[in-house]
Amino acid sequence: MIVTRSWLNEFINLGGVTNERLYTTFNSIGLEVDSIKSYDIPQKVVVGKVLSCQKHPDADKLNVCEVDVGDGVKQIVCGAANVVDAEYVAVALVGAKLPGDLEIKFATLRGVESEGMICSTSELGLPGMGSGIMMLDESIGKLEIGKELRNYETIADTLIELELTANRGDCLSIYGVARDLSVALDLDIAPFSHQSKRGEKIGIARMAELHSKGEMKADLLYALMTTDRIDLPFLIGLRLAMIEAEAEETIEKLLTYATHTTGVILRAYDAESLKHDDKISLNVLSQEDGIVILSAGERNLGSVGIAQNATTKPSAQNRLILLEASYIPPDLLVASVAGKSIEKDTLYYRTSRGSEPNISFGMEYLASLLENDAALFYDGSLGVSANHKRESLIVDCEEIHSLIGQVIENGRVIGILKSLGFEIQSSQSERFGVRIPQFRHDVKNIQDLTEEIVRIVGINNIQAKPLEFVESNRLGETTPYYAFKRGLRERAVGCGFFENVSYLFCEKRKLDEYGFDLLDPSADLTNPIVEELNTLRSTITVNLLEALGRNIKYGAKSVALFEIGAVVDTDRREKEVLTLIFSGQEALEGVANSGKPAMIHFASFAEKIGLIIGDFTLQECTYSNKLLHPYQSADLYCRGKRCGFVSKLHPLVQEAYGANDTFIAELDMGALIPVHKNAKPISKFQGVYKDLSLVVAKDVAYSKVESEISSLKIEILQKWYPIDLYTDEALGEKKSLTVRFFIQSLEKTLEESDIEYVMSAIMKRLEMSCQAALR
Amino acid sequence: MESLEKKIVESDSLESLEKIRVELFGKKGFLAAEFVKLKDIPGPQKKEFAEGLNQTKESLQSAFDLRYDELKQGEIETKLKSEALDVTLYGGSAKKGSLHPVMETMDRIIDYFVALNFAVESGPMVEDDFHNFEALNLPKHHPARDMQDTFYFNDGALLRTHTSPVQIRTMLSSQPPIRMIAPGAVFRRDYDLTHTPMFHQVEGLVVEAKGKVSFANLKSMLTDFLHTMFGDVDVRFRPSFFPFTEPSAEVDISCIFCKGDGCRVCSQTGWLEVLGCGMVDSNVFKAVGYENVSGYAFGLGVERFAMLMHQIPDLRSLFEGDIRLLEQFR
Repeated sequence: MIVTRSWLNEFINLGGVTNERLYTTFNSIGLEVDSIKSYDIPQKVVVGKVLSCQKHPDADKLNVCEVDVGDGVKQIVCGAANVVDAEYVAVALVGAKLPGDLEIKFATLRGVESEGMICSTSELGLPGMGSGIMMLDESIGKLEIGKELRNYETIADTLIELELTANRGDCLSIYGVARDLSVALDLDIAPFSHQSKRGEKIGIARMAELHSKGEMKADLLYALMTTDRIDLPFLIGLRLAMIEAEAEETIEKLLTYATHTTGVILRAYDAESLKHDDKISLNVLSQEDGIVILSAGERNLGSVGIAQNATTKPSAQNRLILLEASYIPPDLLVASVAGKSIEKDTLYYRTSRGSEPNISFGMEYLASLLENDAALFYDGSLGVSANHKRESLIVDCEEIHSLIGQVIENGRVIGILKSLGFEIQSSQSERFGVRIPQFRHDVKNIQDLTEEIVRIVGINNIQAKPLEFVESNRLGETTPYYAFKRGLRERAVGCGFFENVSYLFCEKRKLDEYGFDLLDPSADLTNPIVEELNTLRSTITVNLLEALGRNIKYGAKSVALFEIGAVVDTDRREKEVLTLIFSGQEALEGVANSGKPAMIHFASFAEKIGLIIGDFTLQECTYSNKLLHPYQSADLYCRGKRCGFVSKLHPLVQEAYGANDTFIAELDMGALIPVHKNAKPISKFQGVYKDLSLVVAKDVAYSKVESEISSLKIEILQKWYPIDLYTDEALGEKKSLTVRFFIQSLEKTLEESDIEYVMSAIMKRLEMSCQAALR
Repeated sequence: MESLEKKIVESDSLESLEKIRVELFGKKGFLAAEFVKLKDIPGPQKKEFAEGLNQTKESLQSAFDLRYDELKQGEIETKLKSEALDVTLYGGSAKKGSLHPVMETMDRIIDYFVALNFAVESGPMVEDDFHNFEALNLPKHHPARDMQDTFYFNDGALLRTHTSPVQIRTMLSSQPPIRMIAPGAVFRRDYDLTHTPMFHQVEGLVVEAKGKVSFANLKSMLTDFLHTMFGDVDVRFRPSFFPFTEPSAEVDISCIFCKGDGCRVCSQTGWLEVLGCGMVDSNVFKAVGYENVSGYAFGLGVERFAMLMHQIPDLRSLFEGDIRLLEQFR
């Protein structure tokens, strides 16, 4: 909503109020100031009167004008075509400094001397008003030849753009803003009054009649006029340019101006075309669903507050014009319109937010703009009015105090409500009734009223008080999870990974291409924002690959990223995963590696994962997406639970992203949460390390060996791990695998026979299940 | 005797000195042979001989010890020199990664509220109309729904447009008193220089018995919170409108870049908008079946906090995984 100081001045006197105070007040009453701009008109730009105007002898497009500028008559050459019709103009005198570093000097234009410049609005830093110079008139104030334009408050105005919240439809007009401001600044608001100079009177009933049907939900008021000429005063044109209003016809401009000023929904119809047998018969049909349809004879005129049938709008040639002011409660209208494909015009925004209910004010204001010596108004008006329910509330001051946390005097509460237009029904006690004004349809309960009090008192005048609270443990489930997640993230950072944040979205085509889950079409996004984000992700790996690609493009030689975030399955169930990607050089380039660090490889990637998540084992890969390397991928098990995959990136994908050797892992967060642990007794006796070198077939995975040994459940076998892998031609399709065992008893020092028993049991089992032989 | 001492002094390595030690002090060495002679020396000279021999032993021993220390010192020195390294080469040989500035900011916000005994709560990102709108006093066709452009799914579900549905879920699954925050990702259908389709919010809610919680309490806590996050700034509350709170306010801090004088970041206003808050609307309590309670709620955008706190100019860069940005936060 755009307002200007001088425009507000039509309703309240802001004379003693500085722009700073205006800015602070708007913000403190909840009308947030988006921008504030004062038009600074340069000095030596004055009102001039064009005395004569002749064609330039040597230039078709130039005119030579004699202009009275107060202290003399100047000869000025002007290039604007409309100067021939001009009477009062803005003249920049010699010495004036216009915006854009344009200083006015004596000039000779094609041999004719020129002493100044006749200006357009944009040349003075005002909003542009089409081509041509400013044609001043008394709409800006009394015209005094020689008076500087900067002294006209209507021109050297201050423009304020307000950001209105959705509930404040009542402030979508100059009048509405002035009304709210008047309460905050404790200024009187001047009612609009207009003395009609209408002469000869013919009753409207002789030309038009109105019929209504159904329980009326809208207020409507009609006036009829004939006119030969519609004027557009300079100031109205200027202000419309300030609010960037778009309208073609002059009548349209005046309607826009009157609506912006009063907040009343105003329309005009080409009345000539509505006549049937020399009479206009208007029908108002109030439908069950809350929509009110207008028609004249067979012709549909539109629906109240929603749209006007464009063919009924008057053009410049129309003499007979029907004017309409309307109001319809927004709650009713919005609910009815929603879900229907009804054409809505620009005014619908206002009706849906709540337009000004005082429609006769709007009509009077519009009439005052249209009145001139060529206009003739029919006497009286036609109209219907709805029986609007006015809401009432019982106010308990105690409740207001406890909501605010501070006592606001009863008298103050009542004073504020009264000045905001609320009717107080009995103000004797702490409890009283309040009738809500129609223009504040957003106020529905005591909390809404409290907000009004807070707004006017000012939040900054409320004393802050700490809350007294009975404490209890609030750890719950999510708080410890956050702490765990935090630790995990810190460890990933410690291992050189950067935290990534990407969208929950992904491109369907990519997920499909790489063989990841797709959302069931019935559960997919209806209105994605762009093609690349057209579904929810079922993996973070694709997003991390995109980030990898960007970093490679920027020249990164090593990229390590991780992200913890949500993914969904085909049925859109959400879970959180930890996804890691490491690409390229494992270490920084430096002296230690002569500037040629090794590329990341499976063992070092797995080691990093271990540093981040703790103990894990790897098993043969059971995942099947196309990012995985078929021979360097594994299922990762954490505390016996499968929780995701670790893999080298498939060379084809690697190539597509222009990456070096790259490794990825995606793990379920749920499976990584640490479990409770109890301490085991520590042996006081000496333990023994024993190595065993086995020869097994190449396709026997260590995990097979591992699980076979584990299933023996030998109590004194404390731990074991692979320490060497060897192949050569002599071994052929076999490989040699060396495993180191640590044997220790809780009860005694081991004897040779105990150790032999363990080792032979292991060997026997492996011979049987893995066809292993001793090397 | 003197020649023996000379031999010790002139030995040039620990190895040759060891040889001399064996020659002199060993079981079959010079001194042992001399002491053997003692038993053949008659009484009166015996004492004199013995004393002389002991003196010789002592002076040889001290000459040996001295030379040993000298040689040992020299050897260590040589070893140390041979191990000389320009250690300054290895200053930056390994670097840690970094937390994402948005996530790190979220951590700080969570820390503040956890210290005030707020529970951290979470909820699904795919929500339904009831939890995201209806229960929050945003009935269908409410104009305020326009403020939040929503992603919908074909089955009518939607992506939450704010973290407020977590409030509803928490209130439905527990009883007052409640003190919670809900951090998390939210989604709006907006994609330009200053909007991303996903961003993060932290939402807070306090519910107590009726009359116990007031706007003054809310003001007190948020002022302290903003001082903790941004340091010594002025805090301003402006009345505003949210369907789920009444009275509502937006909270500004004095611009941290220009100290309130007006600059590009604060659009010359001297103020930066950072929070929305208010007293929970009675319709919200009605929707979850609470009676005789009072409460306040607040919400903030984590990206906005992170961008202000770390002077990050471009919102979209936060979602690119660009290491050139991230490595600055190591």
